[in-house]
Amino acid sequence: MKLNERSVAHYATCDSPPDKTGFLFKKGERNTAYHRRWFVLKGNMLFYFEERDSREPIGVIVLEGCTVELCESAEEFAFAIKFDCAKARVYKMAAENQAAMESWVKALSRASFDYMRLVVKELERQLEEIQEAAGGSFVGAGVGGPQARPKSSRRNHVARSRSGASSSSSSSSSMSSSSSSAPPMSGPLSGQRSFQDEVQLISGCSKENGVAWSKPPAALANGFVEGASSCVAWEGCADSGADGVRAPPVPPRRRGASLESPVSPGTGCFSKLHDWYGREVEELRVQWLQSQ
Amino acid sequence: MRFNEKELVSLSRQPSEMAAELGMKGPKKGDVVKKRLVKLVVNFLFYFRTDEEEPIGALLLEQCRVEREDSQTFSIAFLDEAERKYLFECDSEEQCGEWVDSIIKASYEFMRKNLIFYRTEIHRLTGKDPLEQYGISDETRFQVSNGLQLMPRDTSSL
Repeated sequence: MKLNERSVAHYATCDSPPDKTGFLFKKGERNTAYHRRWFVLKGNMLFYFEERDSREPIGVIVLEGCTVELCESAEEFAFAIKFDCAKARVYKMAAENQAAMESWVKALSRASFDYMRLVVKELERQLEEIQEAAGGSFVGAGVGGPQARPKSSRRNHVARSRSGASSSSSSSSSMSSSSSSAPPMSGPLSGQRSFQDEVQLISGCSKENGVAWSKPPAALANGFVEGASSCVAWEGCADSGADGVRAPPVPPRRRGASLESPVSPGTGCFSKLHDWYGREVEELRVQWLQSQ
Repeated sequence: MRFNEKELVSLSRQPSEMAAELGMKGPKKGDVVKKRLVKLVVNFLFYFRTDEEEPIGALLLEQCRVEREDSQTFSIAFLDEAERKYLFECDSEEQCGEWVDSIIKASYEFMRKNLIFYRTEIHRLTGKDPLEQYGISDETRFQVSNGLQLMPRDTSSL
């Protein structure tokens, strides 16, 4: 299968900020020794380079649909990236110390597009609730596309986010191990239907074969219309054409994914989904510690 | 550059945001329009020969520009080789618009910007960081500074 490799490699090295970088040992496919490589995580793509200053990646692991697990290995601080498809390769990796391993497992588990979309949807829902509670009217200066609100909000919120972050550090110490399969959102949830729909797409790899035709979505469900998508639209850069009073639209939802999940029935909201992530990680951690 | 092809093929079988038969023309001189089943899954655009299960190819939709070429045609070009355009012919103006819209939003970086916007906006309105309760405030990918380093590109050179 072809891939736009040159452009993908460009994504690896362009100036968009990476989500994580560092050295890791990666077990070779044929040569089963561990090779030290420089890794760059951007979005749901994990690139690896021969050296830190190499200009082009040797390869990339598309992380969508993977799970990340601690693994039994002669190698210390080992973990594995696994996929739920037939004859999928298991990528065995090892970090240089405990902290690095935990940090990578965490970062990789949450690297999927689906996860990011879930978080965005949740925040979008929260913002809608807040705005509705405030009388449904947009305070003109207060709402705008991400690109239309540059410096002022940035300055305020960098400071506040950090202070907020420090108080949450205890809850963020758990590692998540799965970036894909998620609990189903079963049962009717009043007022949360859009979120429920959204979580369908998280329920792991469907074993569906062949090609799924889906009708193109109608107008964006959230009612926010992107004003600047007239003729030219840039991805990956500030949309300078956006007018100042509209919130950004939400990425399209996936349709048709099964609501079933084998693992955590009955969870019905985002915070529960997160608890689920955390709990699974804790269990794995306990197992791992017991095996030491 | 190596990539995990099997897993990508498996991804192409997942339910998609949009899938339709479109006329697709590659970026090389001499490429002609061919009927392809085009399928959008997360930030990848897969294209198949109609009725085939395995895609011919995939396009990662990061660092690209989507543009309407005429009422029923749109193009995708990647920023590192902006003169090379993939062309897609739709059946209607409406369908074309829907595709352009969906592809713009199908990038991880686009979502990240949305997230940062919502996060800062909620914080501004409530004084609380909405990510705090989920213990993910510290994640690099959600940082305010992360998505904002991108500068608008000067398009005059393209």
